[in-house]
Amino acid sequence: MSFSPYTQNGGTILAIAGKDFCVVAGDTRQSEGFSIQSRYETKVWRLNEKATIAANGFAADCKQLVKRVKWRLETYKHAHNREMPLKSIARMVQTMLYGKRFFPFYSYVIIGGIDDDGTGAVYGFDPVGSYERETCRAAGAAQSLLQPFLDNQIYFRNQQPADPTNPPIPGTLPLDNVLAIVTDSFTGATERHIEVGDALEMYVVTNSNCDLGALQQITQSATKTDLEQVAREEAEFNGPKSCKTFKLLRQLKKD
Amino acid sequence: MSDSYSFSLTTFSPSGQLKQVDHALAAVAQGTTSLGVKASNGVVIATEKKQPSPLVDDSMLEKVALICPTIGCVYSGMGPDFRQLVTAARKSAQAYWKMFNEYPPTRVMVGEIASIMQGATQKGGMRPYGCSLLVAGYDKTRGSSLYQVDPSGSYWAWKASAMGKNMVNAKTFLEKRYNEDISLEDAIHTSLLTLKEGFEGQMTEKTVDIGIIHIPSEWDTKNPPEALAGDKAGHLPGMPAFRKLSEEEIKDHLTL
Amino acid sequence: MSIMEYNGGSVVAMRGKKCVAIAGDLRLGNRNMSLAANFEKVFPITQKLYVGLPGLATDVLTLRDTFRFRTNMYKLKEGREIEPNTFAHLVSSTLYERRWSPYFVEPVVAGLDPNNSEPFIAATDLIGCLNFAKDFVVSGTASDKMFGMAESLWEPDLEAEDLFETVSQTLLNGVDRDALSGWGAVVHLITPEKIITRSLKSRMD
Repeated sequence: MSFSPYTQNGGTILAIAGKDFCVVAGDTRQSEGFSIQSRYETKVWRLNEKATIAANGFAADCKQLVKRVKWRLETYKHAHNREMPLKSIARMVQTMLYGKRFFPFYSYVIIGGIDDDGTGAVYGFDPVGSYERETCRAAGAAQSLLQPFLDNQIYFRNQQPADPTNPPIPGTLPLDNVLAIVTDSFTGATERHIEVGDALEMYVVTNSNCDLGALQQITQSATKTDLEQVAREEAEFNGPKSCKTFKLLRQLKKD
Repeated sequence: MSDSYSFSLTTFSPSGQLKQVDHALAAVAQGTTSLGVKASNGVVIATEKKQPSPLVDDSMLEKVALICPTIGCVYSGMGPDFRQLVTAARKSAQAYWKMFNEYPPTRVMVGEIASIMQGATQKGGMRPYGCSLLVAGYDKTRGSSLYQVDPSGSYWAWKASAMGKNMVNAKTFLEKRYNEDISLEDAIHTSLLTLKEGFEGQMTEKTVDIGIIHIPSEWDTKNPPEALAGDKAGHLPGMPAFRKLSEEEIKDHLTL
Repeated sequence: MSIMEYNGGSVVAMRGKKCVAIAGDLRLGNRNMSLAANFEKVFPITQKLYVGLPGLATDVLTLRDTFRFRTNMYKLKEGREIEPNTFAHLVSSTLYERRWSPYFVEPVVAGLDPNNSEPFIAATDLIGCLNFAKDFVVSGTASDKMFGMAESLWEPDLEAEDLFETVSQTLLNGVDRDALSGWGAVVHLITPEKIITRSLKSRMD
């Protein structure tokens, strides 16, 4: 038998942008074929205060890619004495992916965060670097289950606006709505896709104007095991006004 | 010359008859009496179980037969021909079950049997079946029903009827005793009384064979309790079913 | 590429409160080339029973005629209309007869029980393995997309008009992400009183 350099490790990721926040989510199951390798292996990483990355596909490639991205961000910080802006991270990731055009990282990447003008932004990539800024994106094993749902709920596809003179604008849903859509998406995908389940990590990247009421409410009603904040000073609700990233953890079905 | 028409089945006599079919009917008329009675809450079919010799092991004799859980039948005439028909009917019921996941309605089953019997009056190298059948069954569209099938393949439904040796007397007896509100218990009793008329020898639990369908009072045909979608629709527990009475049960009815 | 994707097409059915809905798209294609936008694949069997037949178009038409033949014979022989559960088993047996040279169709059955108006839905694979779902069934080239939609949109005991909206949104958003389905849709809403059939406009790409 010949050596095969790739495997598929299942799982699915998703990001939705809001006016002043962005949610980047992924389940935590890692599988190979019909075997579950881990019930808690993260696919979403915080890069800096304004950017979070999710990578899905071949887990080893994803980890290596994120490792390299983090290293590049660190050297950028030393060279320029500031964090790399979101759009620049996106362009850099495209260069890195295309750089391996003939032995690609088998990774479907989504970057979510706060753009220069303070709005939520999602950048979706294919494994060789083709990318696009969007309002929402699903990738991975359950992409085909989730993307039509997002088209419907985020882009309002096939919906008649209640007021035709004032149709809803994609990317303006409030945070509590978006969080509900994300959890519903993943519970649905968990129900019907064997490679999706175990737990759901939701990173909420917020800008300084973002109303954190929805998050505070969840924090109050949640038990310690349901919710875990990113262990950083930015994650305090009552800290100084700045971009903060919160991490919400929710259990999914394990069968 | 005119008699020769009675040998070839596929040939009508000049008077328009198929003589072999008439002869088959004669075989039925000589057969042991059997009868069926419809009650308000079920049906009963019964027959005399005549032993050809006291040496015969009577536990092997079976004259009332189950076709499928909802249908049973009894015959007058030739036993071996009856068994052949029962085998064919059982296969037909199972084929229907395999196709639709439910047992055939009584009328459909009777139609199948009649079709087999008619076939024997027309096909080359065959003779008509030498027996008539009384078929009792239950289905959700028509409830319980009682049919007679003749060697010609013709069939019709009865409220109560008898066939065989003592047919005329038995029918007259039933006509006098029958009404539609009769309960199943009474119907069994009436059946036994009818059989008793012209019974040869002693009538005991060993010399009669009885089959019944009982519809429980709480059974709602339109809304069966467990009639959910699924693969258990064929025959539900508690659903009206055909069964033969045991010797003990017959004994109880005889002593009443 | 599988023969199931040769012509494309999708069907979905859902249970509601004393009602069911079944919907199918209208595309007929030849691999990547769309040929027609009026190819209905959901057919009436009785007053309260429909069958959806997504799959290879030639088999769709053959099976439609086979089921019409068999249900007509059933009606004549039994003197009654076939019931949804019985019909589902007829579909299953008909497909399993061709176990080793199957029809490339994965049917969906939706109807109301004529006795008590209980909603009934079922789906089978191409060789007749029955799936009696209590919520919804999907079939065809957009089945994975519609699973995602239906799993999020459907809820128990939907009233007729809400069920119509749910089934329509499930189908429309599902087929819009499927290159082989779409080009319009037809929805049948079956209630104890009447059948409501509506044509939906959708993306034509």
